[in-house]
Amino acid sequence: MPEIPTPHRSLRLGVAGPVGTGKSSLIAMICRTLADEIRIGVITNDIYTDEDARLLRAAGVLDPDRIRAIETGACPHTAIRDDVTANLAGVEELEAAFDPLDLVLVESGGDNLTATFSPALIDAQIFVLDVAGGGDVARKGGPGIGRADLLVVNKTDLAPYVGVDVEQMISDAEAAREQGPVLGLSRTDKESVARLRSWLLALLETHRSGAHEPQDPGPMAPHFHADDDGGYVHSHAESESHGHADDPNHADSDHDSAGGPDPREHAEGGDRIPADRVLADGRG
Amino acid sequence: MDTVTLNALGPGAASAIIMLLADARLPAGAHVTSNGVEAGLRHGLVTGEVAAYMRARMRTVVRVEAGTAVVTRHALTDTRVVDGDEVDRGSRSDRESSAILADIGDEWAARTPSPALREIAEALGAGLRRVAVTLWPKLNPVMPRRGLPRPVVLGSIAAAAGIPAADLVRLVAYDDAQTVAAAMLKLEPMDPLAATGWVLEACTAFEPCVADLATLTDPAAIPAAGAPLIEDWAEAQSALPRRLFRA
Repeated sequence: MPEIPTPHRSLRLGVAGPVGTGKSSLIAMICRTLADEIRIGVITNDIYTDEDARLLRAAGVLDPDRIRAIETGACPHTAIRDDVTANLAGVEELEAAFDPLDLVLVESGGDNLTATFSPALIDAQIFVLDVAGGGDVARKGGPGIGRADLLVVNKTDLAPYVGVDVEQMISDAEAAREQGPVLGLSRTDKESVARLRSWLLALLETHRSGAHEPQDPGPMAPHFHADDDGGYVHSHAESESHGHADDPNHADSDHDSAGGPDPREHAEGGDRIPADRVLADGRG
Repeated sequence: MDTVTLNALGPGAASAIIMLLADARLPAGAHVTSNGVEAGLRHGLVTGEVAAYMRARMRTVVRVEAGTAVVTRHALTDTRVVDGDEVDRGSRSDRESSAILADIGDEWAARTPSPALREIAEALGAGLRRVAVTLWPKLNPVMPRRGLPRPVVLGSIAAAAGIPAADLVRLVAYDDAQTVAAAMLKLEPMDPLAATGWVLEACTAFEPCVADLATLTDPAAIPAAGAPLIEDWAEAQSALPRRLFRA
């Protein structure tokens, strides 16, 4: 059997969140903002149609062939978490067809607050809420709100019309996330778009250097580290500490001296893009 | 868990692996298919006829799939366990094994005229292959990433895991009916226990076919039991603009 060259391993970024919060629009915005600088592919997960893929193709932000719809058999939650087979095949096919891609965005089907991506599928994830869904949603927490790499509070321009105090909602979200990054976003607010852009570029840089550590909202599954040799996948036994975040060489022997498991270590790992980097520019 | 560990389970390993392969929670991407029942419902099939649809599949496509799996298992089984000892290791190279799988795949394709059915079977095969090469690494050089239909991958796993031929046949049948049942619960309002009953009925109706299918060794002898309506529905399903299931 002839060996097929392994394509470049992109940064795989999941976008999850309830129906109608603006996941597709966020992806279109990312493409619009970055498509001239980096090579992007998109996987959509519609429940009943390929509406999201069509919308993105129609938006003209990306070569339509780089946008692929994956069908999830009415199980959007399963397809990003418990059984990522179809999505993983989609990502790998996209990476092979358009090698090299810098970024593959995987949009989940709109689901509930418990739906998050498996690290076996993606390297980092954005969870999207919107102000129109209610100012109290951020307080409800859950794995996506609490521990996604970035929480986006979308459509902030609608806040006056739906009676939501955006600052309060963002501060509630920050509390639920133990000060993890939260981004108030509106397509009419150019500064917020610029903050999204710089968060993404910083993430891409950490991923390329091999220092990015997937922050899994759920139990840790095997995950990927980029490095000069193309990267590798590894997993951790439950009893192991995950203390290699500060170690660029990521020697597994370090686990022995890490001093026992600390479940909070992940959430506070050194590779998370800190909140001030999201919020720094444009708010000063 | 690796092959050595699995083998260490002894005779219990095969039973555990059969259960694992039949479990809907197996992460192999199989939940994307309804086995054509979604298109069937659009084309006039009613809930009360779905039990008969399962039985019709048992007499047609299931015999092709099960026959393909059994023949694959036979072709790849190059070790026999006698009194707990592994003996008679075959000398076939990975390349030769790979060619054998491709030939059996061709025999299966010749009996599966619908391009839509072949496409979904190969997508499901690629998903199951991920499971196969992870848990049985020796299968990795034997199986190409794409192009093997699900029954060929399943038969390969059966060979690697020591699953008896008759159990492999029953596994194919059970999975086929359960896929229809699970899809029905999403497509039509009905009592889930009724669908579960249909699965058992279909498997029971199929039982008299099991022994003969389990003895197949020659790829040319794989049943050629076509079902034009099922193929037609598969084609219709592949063209549905709004659908819950890919197939």
